[in-house]
Amino acid sequence: MSDNKVATNPATNEAPLLEVNNVRVDFRIVDGTLNAVKGNSFEVRKGETLALVGESGSGKSVTARAIMRMLADNAKVGKETSIVFKGQELMKLTEAQMQEIRGNHITMIFQEPLTSLNPIYRIGDQVAEIILNHRNVSKKKAREEVIRLFKEVQIPEPEARFSQYPHQLSGGQRQRVMIAMALANEPDLLIADEPTTALDVTVQAEILTLMKRLQEKHGMAILLITHDLGVVRQTSDRVCVMRYGEIVESGTTEQIFGDPQHPYTKHLINSEPSGHPDPLNDELSVIMEGKDIRKVYKIKHGSFWNRKTVDLIAVNDVSLKVRTGETLGIVGESGSGKSTLGMSLIKLQPITAGQIEFLGKRIDPLDKRGMRPYRTDIQVVFQDPFSSLNPRMIIRQIIEEGLIVNNIGSSSAERTKLIRKALEEVQMTADVMDRFPHEFSGGQRQRIAIARALALQPKFILLDEPTSALDLSIQAQIIELLRDLRRRHDLSYIFISHDLKVVRALCHNVIVMQNGNVVETGPTEDVLVNPKTEYTQRLVDAAINIRA
Amino acid sequence: MAARRPDVEEFSPPVGTSQLESPIDPGKHEVDPAIPPVEEGGPAEAVAATSLSYSQLVMRRFRRNNYGMVGLVICILIIFIAVFSGFLAPYASSTTDTRALYSPPQLIRIISPEGTLARPHVLGFAEDMDMNTFEIKFIPDPEQRANLAFFVKGDEWKLFGLTFDRHLFGTVDGQPIHLLGTDGLGRDIFSRMLHGTRITLLMGFLVMLASGIIGSIMGVSSGYFGGFYDLFVQRLVEFIKSFPDLPLYLVLVSLLPRRADAALIFIMFAGILVLLGWADVSRELRGKVMSMRGLEYVRAAEAVGAGSGRILFRHLLPNVFSHIIVWATYALPNVILLESFLSFLGVGVQAPMVSWGSMLNQVLDFQSFSAAPWMMAPVIMIVLSVLAFNAFGDGLRDAMDPYSNV
Repeated sequence: MSDNKVATNPATNEAPLLEVNNVRVDFRIVDGTLNAVKGNSFEVRKGETLALVGESGSGKSVTARAIMRMLADNAKVGKETSIVFKGQELMKLTEAQMQEIRGNHITMIFQEPLTSLNPIYRIGDQVAEIILNHRNVSKKKAREEVIRLFKEVQIPEPEARFSQYPHQLSGGQRQRVMIAMALANEPDLLIADEPTTALDVTVQAEILTLMKRLQEKHGMAILLITHDLGVVRQTSDRVCVMRYGEIVESGTTEQIFGDPQHPYTKHLINSEPSGHPDPLNDELSVIMEGKDIRKVYKIKHGSFWNRKTVDLIAVNDVSLKVRTGETLGIVGESGSGKSTLGMSLIKLQPITAGQIEFLGKRIDPLDKRGMRPYRTDIQVVFQDPFSSLNPRMIIRQIIEEGLIVNNIGSSSAERTKLIRKALEEVQMTADVMDRFPHEFSGGQRQRIAIARALALQPKFILLDEPTSALDLSIQAQIIELLRDLRRRHDLSYIFISHDLKVVRALCHNVIVMQNGNVVETGPTEDVLVNPKTEYTQRLVDAAINIRA
Repeated sequence: MAARRPDVEEFSPPVGTSQLESPIDPGKHEVDPAIPPVEEGGPAEAVAATSLSYSQLVMRRFRRNNYGMVGLVICILIIFIAVFSGFLAPYASSTTDTRALYSPPQLIRIISPEGTLARPHVLGFAEDMDMNTFEIKFIPDPEQRANLAFFVKGDEWKLFGLTFDRHLFGTVDGQPIHLLGTDGLGRDIFSRMLHGTRITLLMGFLVMLASGIIGSIMGVSSGYFGGFYDLFVQRLVEFIKSFPDLPLYLVLVSLLPRRADAALIFIMFAGILVLLGWADVSRELRGKVMSMRGLEYVRAAEAVGAGSGRILFRHLLPNVFSHIIVWATYALPNVILLESFLSFLGVGVQAPMVSWGSMLNQVLDFQSFSAAPWMMAPVIMIVLSVLAFNAFGDGLRDAMDPYSNV
């Protein structure tokens, strides 16, 4: 793939800012070598945004780290690799010379703003340090410079913020500080590694707009690394699509999205959630009902002698109804109480007040033992398929557990039959039964987690962000699987998500939550097309109208 | 372009990406569906052809660690010595040689006094008194030559209820052989050192196992149940940890009945070490379990209706087991050291049992130390075994580290 050069634009004759030729990175691992990046070439021109797009494990982050020469110890960069930045071969520089380039001419922002700032230093000092390291200015001058930068990245009250610590800032604001840090020495190239992935959808849009504006103002080039096609479409000029460490296709954003050539690119673009839930019959019985559910966390603070408690209201008198066969979506930003509400409904967490009815019977006063008979009917699929399967159990044991504790199937052979059936339902073969979870990919694990729930033949499943940890193409498959299962078994779902695109594809009705309160509720299409509150409007804009 | 091992990608992400990717993008390699997909929601992604189980992975990583491997080999050797000490040692632990009190170590010679190559032999000592200092000197005496042989008959020893009388080596004609010399009663230091391995290691394993089991049960349950039970257990742990160890050991040990059977004292001595030894591991595991309690697989087990016992023993315990093993390899050398120390002071293992520490007890005064420094030989075994078990534990800890990729 080394000859896969991006077609040069005849209008710009000047040499590209960054020229990456035949970059190859190998990792030494337990038994052998992993070829993470397999000889890619691309170039970034002055003032443009190039997006490296790919699913997890495609080698896009490793490529970025190779440019910065910040790879892990067990990585080896290929001999033919050449990275030319402003006419200078980076691979030949000493570590000291490279330091001069990093943070000065090429800067990088990372995806996790919670961990990329040092928690024990004031944010102003952290940004000032970058300036003082690379420029010969006084401390006072550096402080003025930092405050100017904070203004530029639109941090409110920059003077006051200067002496604050990272934990006093929200995720979005921290990412703004990171951007300010990256801009401090007016770099020629900014490498942004998934800059918005860890942020709430509404904040994502703001950060992207800010980056775009700053780029125009300073004329710097951006190398954007992301898995999110929405982000790419909104911000980049050109795109390189990566898969298994290789660039499979590259071109301008219009070319890639308008007329994709490589089957993988087509597949990626087609994987965006689409379609609508099957229509519902109106005359259906209610399966799950919550009345005025309230969940309060008591937070203790104050000294030993003067102990005070503050009530944190996570869920504030929420009522909801799910009918048989219905899929109810609960959406909201992180911290809006949607997961707490879900876990309370299935009694994995006690509630402070309110009533929960399942098939007309009250289940909220039941204890662990009392809930046993209902456990087969009420199931749950969690967000993170990497932690929801016990790493020390084989798949058979994982699925069998529910059958054993609920006395389903009298013999081992009978249970095996049931396990096999459940695996079939999620389109997995029976030979996976004797394997451990770590042998499977994220999408496969999520299927196994669904099979574990299905083995008990439930009537109701709580889906807690089941697709948000998955790559786009896998996400589309899981959505299709969930739809199909609902159709076949007349299942009812509560689907918790922050992604309105997925919610639109799956849910009949939707509840929008903010800070523990329900701000809007109704049929999904109505809510998405005519949002009544500004908050919902923001969520919709961020998820669906991002292209506009 | 193709990976050397096609299965490599499946189980192990490169370190670089796993640090960079977000929590929702944990750097695992997705196996993609056939491209373009055959049909939407079609057959699930292909399963990796081969991959390693966790224990295989640990084994593989451990084998790369030379320091740990050397430790493991020495550990196995020491355990072998402990089991077959009767066979390896030329004498029983209580056999005395009244003609050789404080006799110095003998050298195995393959060159005869005449200067020619001879079969391996040792020389007996002729005693000679320095007339100025009245110090008795031992001089190798070419007249008293004792040839060595394998598999000779000697003192009886028992293993698994059977009695044997063959020893790995000895002298052909039953003349004395003391490779590391003898003590004040004429007992062979080398033999006693090998026999002492058995008691010392038995003590080590017994204390480690018992405190490991008690500590695991207390720690895991306290972390999982929380609440009042946790409060109670943790205050108990603090109470135990707040004692000054050494004076307490001495007091408790001195309370043991002196006249009682040595085996009974041994058990009670072990009991005291367990009593104070379980607290550390329980606290460590409690913390681990508390962070694990919120994990989704535990909640998923709750959601299918699994009871507390099942969650404790099927989910939590197997997942902290590697911690327990690593703790055990660190605890064992500590117990060995503690046992040696207390026995050295004369309050630990009692005669007729022999441990490394109780052998050192005879070198308590300076006089016997300067007269017979070879009686310090068990120190070498103590140092060697502590180093070996620590090296093994260290290697094991590195190999079990899920984030290690090298």
